[in-house]
Amino acid sequence: MKKFLAFLALSMLAMTVIGAQTSEVESALKRYAELRPGEKDLAMYRIDWAPSLEEAQSRALKENRPVFLVIIHAKYGDLSSGHC
Amino acid sequence: MVSLLRPFIAASWHGHRNDPDLPDAVRTVWREKFGRQSGNGPGLRGKQSNVDLAVLDAKGNLVHWFDGFRRMGGQSFPNGQRHESLGDYTARELQKATAELHLAGTPTEEHPLKLPDPGRSGMRVFISLLEERMRAYRAPVVEAVNLTRNDWKPLAYPDREKNIEASLLKKWLSQVYPPGVMERTDPQTKQVYRISRIKGNLTLEPAGTFNNMRYALLTGRIILTDEGPDDFSYEGDIEIVLTYSKTRSMPQSLRGIFDGIYPRYNPTNRSFREIPLQAAFEALPMVDKNP
Repeated sequence: MKKFLAFLALSMLAMTVIGAQTSEVESALKRYAELRPGEKDLAMYRIDWAPSLEEAQSRALKENRPVFLVIIHAKYGDLSSGHC
Repeated sequence: MVSLLRPFIAASWHGHRNDPDLPDAVRTVWREKFGRQSGNGPGLRGKQSNVDLAVLDAKGNLVHWFDGFRRMGGQSFPNGQRHESLGDYTARELQKATAELHLAGTPTEEHPLKLPDPGRSGMRVFISLLEERMRAYRAPVVEAVNLTRNDWKPLAYPDREKNIEASLLKKWLSQVYPPGVMERTDPQTKQVYRISRIKGNLTLEPAGTFNNMRYALLTGRIILTDEGPDDFSYEGDIEIVLTYSKTRSMPQSLRGIFDGIYPRYNPTNRSFREIPLQAAFEALPMVDKNP
């Protein structure tokens, strides 16, 4: 009987642990869903960026489209990748 | 704003006025900008930012340009307005340009969302600095990190709880930094200091099974230090869910977050302000289902 009760207690403990872990996983995934930007927040990545001005102008000529140029007066900066 | 840019091909360029190879459009913009004593437009009072926006036609001719940040006195806002958002200002200037362009026939449909590609086994990191005083910094930046099988080995399925030194995950954890903040730069090279050290004793533990998928949780606090000379550091907590098949030890997917504080230096009053810095991590392919 003692062995059975010990087994029962351990089983219940294991179930509690598994339940707690599942809840922790759910909680972590919920936080991820909250912090992961949605499509609206990522609108900058819907702009048709070219990797360089040269490529933008080459494509513009072929596709008969205008160029929107961001000029940063600094030693570095690449707005297309979000690095100002 | 993004919809106004649909007809355009966008590009970013950076440099200085004395660069020998200035593109023609940039040369023209800066000649006009710096040639004007009063700056760009009425009410500017000589103030100007280091960002200019220019529109070129398909043949590369400069059609219109304007300072990236409005610097007008209140009397200069259109229609007697007392305020104008940066977005409205940019849209208004863009409309001036499009009025001069012949855009009939150029595409106006929405472009697909193109996030940086980390490759099949790589990681995407979405970072946001929740700066109230500069809302542009809140816009998420997406970093893509290519990872090899060796990079994933520390995260092999744990049969029992184990500790992992955060430095083993430096390749992707080091992407957690505020990309739009330029204060932490090398005074000589003007390059942003990269993260050189990551410390933290993380816990990786099994977290149950669901739908034939095994789960594990990676949690703990990490401290990131950049390569500057003053041991500048910031820290935060990570909470990450990994999934594994029943037969393989390498992770099938990873999703999680960093939630920390970035101490931003204010040179005006020589003090630090604590600004929330958050990131979401995700590794592809996302093949699992929620537990």
